[in-house]
Amino acid sequence: MTVASQVNQTIASLKGTRATLRVYITQSRDDETRTVFTDALNETNTIIDDLEKRLQTLEFEEPQYKGN
Amino acid sequence: MQESLQVLLKSIALFIVVWAAIRLMGKRNLSQISPFNFVSYIVIAVVAALVSLNLINLIYGFIALLVWTAFPIALDYLSIKSKVMHELINGKETVLIKHGKIMEENLMSVRMTGEDLLAQLRSKNAFNMADVEFAIMETNGTINPYLKSDKKPVTPHDLDIKVAPQAEPQTVIMDGNMLEEPLASLGLNPQWLTTELDKSGVSLENVSLGQVDSSGDLYLDLFDDAVELPQPKVKEMLYATFEKSQADLATFALETENAAAKTMYAANSQKLEDLLNKLRPYLLH
Repeated sequence: MTVASQVNQTIASLKGTRATLRVYITQSRDDETRTVFTDALNETNTIIDDLEKRLQTLEFEEPQYKGN
Repeated sequence: MQESLQVLLKSIALFIVVWAAIRLMGKRNLSQISPFNFVSYIVIAVVAALVSLNLINLIYGFIALLVWTAFPIALDYLSIKSKVMHELINGKETVLIKHGKIMEENLMSVRMTGEDLLAQLRSKNAFNMADVEFAIMETNGTINPYLKSDKKPVTPHDLDIKVAPQAEPQTVIMDGNMLEEPLASLGLNPQWLTTELDKSGVSLENVSLGQVDSSGDLYLDLFDDAVELPQPKVKEMLYATFEKSQADLATFALETENAAAKTMYAANSQKLEDLLNKLRPYLLH
């Protein structure tokens, strides 16, 4: 497995957590809980952005592995 | 014949009157009523019995019932409005143990022996006198001990643990029937419940009890106990995924030779670790 595909995998699982967080934000009844989950969602978004930027660089550096 | 019909009619009428009178006197557990209220209840019961058996005149009976219903209500009202009246009617609570020492005179004044006190304390799970800092006898006769601070049960606050706030769960399915009102109070609709049931692969008729907790997870109990139902583990999974991603990022930070990428990975790994600490009370309990 190349670094690019490893990073890709981490991005995918973080995107999965994002979906679950969204579900809990909508179905939680407690405001405090909702705020915590919303903060977590925003934090996850910035991390995904960072990783996606890095992934672009990696794919540029190793074009032969692109698409893995 | 005439007489038995009279008894029947009177009994039915008095049943309704007494029921209304007791309702008017308020919602109270019988074990918590004051001695005075207890007397009123007994008088009402005896008068009702005598009148319905034709032993006393109907009019006299009703006058007595009226007085014994109205006075307790009036006294209750007064005791709510005035502190002095409250003490006069219900009495005052008595301190039985102070600073860990038994107040013998107070014990005497409520006519209790040391043995009685110990028995009452034991029923409140205070077996050791040395653990009790303070105990008070309430006006209704129950004894409430306050334990010494090092003998009190540990709370999350004592342990410095943050716990997620939790509202009461709502029962949305009972005996295979969907309860619309609790569902609506959660802001959910029957379609949501149908989807959730489909996800678990059970039909509504097979569910004996379904509850939704404050985070919106559905707990199900089936009539058929042989069926093993996977309990919701979504939150634990979410936590595990975050944990794995954090570990991945830490590994990337170690592996990469690009200095900028290293700091980016390390920073994000740190961010995820902080996030995990924040989410722990909400996702794992």
